[in-house]
Amino acid sequence: MATFPKLKTNAIAQYPVARREQFQNQTVRFVDGSEQRYRDSAGARLEWEIQLSQLDEGELAAIEEFFLARQGAFGSFCFTDPWDGHVYDDCSVAADELPLVTEGEMRGSTKLTVVRNI
Amino acid sequence: MPAYPQLGSGALSQFPVQKNRRVRTVVNQAADGSTIKLADPAGEVTEWQLTYTDLSDEEAAALRAFFVAAEGTLNGFTFLDPAGNLLAWSDQLDQAAWQKDPLLSLTGGISDPRGGAQAWRLSNGGAAEQGAGQTLAAPGEYQYCLSAYVRAATATSVGLTAGSQTARRAVTSEWTRIAWTCSGDAQATSVRFGIEIAPSDAVEVYGLQVEAQTAASGYKASARGGVYEDAHLGDDVLTITSTDVNRHSCTVKIIHANHL
Repeated sequence: MATFPKLKTNAIAQYPVARREQFQNQTVRFVDGSEQRYRDSAGARLEWEIQLSQLDEGELAAIEEFFLARQGAFGSFCFTDPWDGHVYDDCSVAADELPLVTEGEMRGSTKLTVVRNI
Repeated sequence: MPAYPQLGSGALSQFPVQKNRRVRTVVNQAADGSTIKLADPAGEVTEWQLTYTDLSDEEAAALRAFFVAAEGTLNGFTFLDPAGNLLAWSDQLDQAAWQKDPLLSLTGGISDPRGGAQAWRLSNGGAAEQGAGQTLAAPGEYQYCLSAYVRAATATSVGLTAGSQTARRAVTSEWTRIAWTCSGDAQATSVRFGIEIAPSDAVEVYGLQVEAQTAASGYKASARGGVYEDAHLGDDVLTITSTDVNRHSCTVKIIHANHL
């Protein structure tokens, strides 16, 4: 399986990087006030917001080619959580759009959100 | 097909260049949060926003003339990605996009100057020059920069080709980036760029790149290539602001969609 590209510094992300963890639970409340709760999803939804700047041309092109090769949100890949180094096997880009800005030589930037598929 | 004009400097755009990639995925999300996805390769759209400042009278007139000829968003044209490598499959010389002479043998997986293994060894087993190249549907009269990283076990030289022209560059035992600013054959609607190896020579090559400008920028590995045929202007309006004598500024949007 493909792996999310690393920068030439070997980093996955730059600061700031936001990590969002979301559960999806349901609660049934009975007339006596008691509750029954249950999970309504196959697992926790994990998201990472990756913002990259000061990229050189090769790094920016690698992100772009990776996005196109995955066909946006369709394809899945391995992603290493930049917070703890855990490798998640089945992740995707969240959106079908990738903005790429080149401000100058070796000054590219982009941002994308990675989600763990459940 | 007409092509988007180069500036007097030979560049296609100025910084900043904004590029937006959009693809389309059909997603069926189940109640438990799991998804079933279907890709739509025909739905790929690429947009550029080119911001120009300090254009000369001639450059502004050329942009305006192009806008008038295209009649705004109506007519298609060839656009060369100013932030991309015009060559397709630049790291995979065994792809069909590359035309290889019969006596040239390719060996992949060679260590490259960036620490990977994306370089190729090109060995010429013939008695005449043999090469590999790619034909781009790009205007011949434009200025291009063809560049590559090369090295060889013993010092030699390689030929860089653009159309019918060839330039020789020295190759040493260390990785060196060679570049050649060139044009294709005037009036031609396509240009073949390539690299030629002398008889009985073997040269390792990495990072072949063609850009529609006069100097090489950092190497960008590519799969699709940066020639976009049948691109369109994104607006029916072109506003050119004169900021001083012989100084003009404007913003141009360009869109390329697979399905148009």
